[in-house]
Amino acid sequence: QSMSLSVSPAQTAAWRRQIFEQLSERTKREMDDFRHYEQAIEQSVWVKKGTM
Amino acid sequence: MADDKDVLRDVWFGRIPTCFLLNQDEVTEREAEPYYLLLPRVSYLTLVTDKVKKHFHKVIRTDDAEEMWFEYEGTPLKWHYPIGVLFDLHASNTVLPWSITVHFKNFPERDLLHCPSHSVIEAHFMSSIKEADALKHKSQVVNDMQKKDHKQLWMGLQNDKFDQFWAMNRKLMEYPTEDGGFRFIPFRIYQTLSDRPFIQKQFRPVSPEGHVHTLGDLLKEVYPTPLQWLSEHLSHPDSFLHICVIPVPSD
Repeated sequence: QSMSLSVSPAQTAAWRRQIFEQLSERTKREMDDFRHYEQAIEQSVWVKKGTM
Repeated sequence: MADDKDVLRDVWFGRIPTCFLLNQDEVTEREAEPYYLLLPRVSYLTLVTDKVKKHFHKVIRTDDAEEMWFEYEGTPLKWHYPIGVLFDLHASNTVLPWSITVHFKNFPERDLLHCPSHSVIEAHFMSSIKEADALKHKSQVVNDMQKKDHKQLWMGLQNDKFDQFWAMNRKLMEYPTEDGGFRFIPFRIYQTLSDRPFIQKQFRPVSPEGHVHTLGDLLKEVYPTPLQWLSEHLSHPDSFLHICVIPVPSD
């Protein structure tokens, strides 16, 4: 079954850009002033040691 | 122009700055300081608040401490909903940080599920993934995975390991090109002004005539984003697309 596109390339570019912008705005709004807060999940650093 | 993969990262690394305050009715041995944390939007409250529990346990009498639960402006917060859903649904119009009240008594049995350990959250998370895969691929992908693969999804979420999670989740997001998308889109629509917890129904990403369905088709609004793309990129780690419908602020 072939797919017919009901959304034009211009519309696709528009919704994609809108989502990128909205996510970016959300990050700015929710995180920019709070980067000094402690993270709930600590990022452990793993050092993998192996013998050659 | 940003890449679609950047969206996956933005969704995963979304954080809500939160201030935890002890309920004023709790009996304390000294004043309880608030506790500030950046909560991952895609995780679960009871999975990321061990530090909060430890912090408040220092000031309350341990004999008085029952199961910890959370409330925002009188609403008990369901730990089994993703944190981002809880925030968007109940507090998206609030000033940040999000102020959550912490309780250690009077557990609201009618509103919340008990969460005695992380394994309860794991079971809930895996059951969501399995339900979603039943809708997307008739359970074929999740059934073909090994126990260690399921564990990798869970450990990826628990330890905030994006690459570890997506190395496996990629398989849950694949579909045959000729199908044009998943069988059905796993989604839930939450409404603040409704007694129903959420709306969930079977909805295909492509019409019988081969037209791609958009979010607008689903919500009966004009919003020309293919559901398949939303499901692949904006789904929570539990594989569901969680959609919150909130009233527009009147001010």
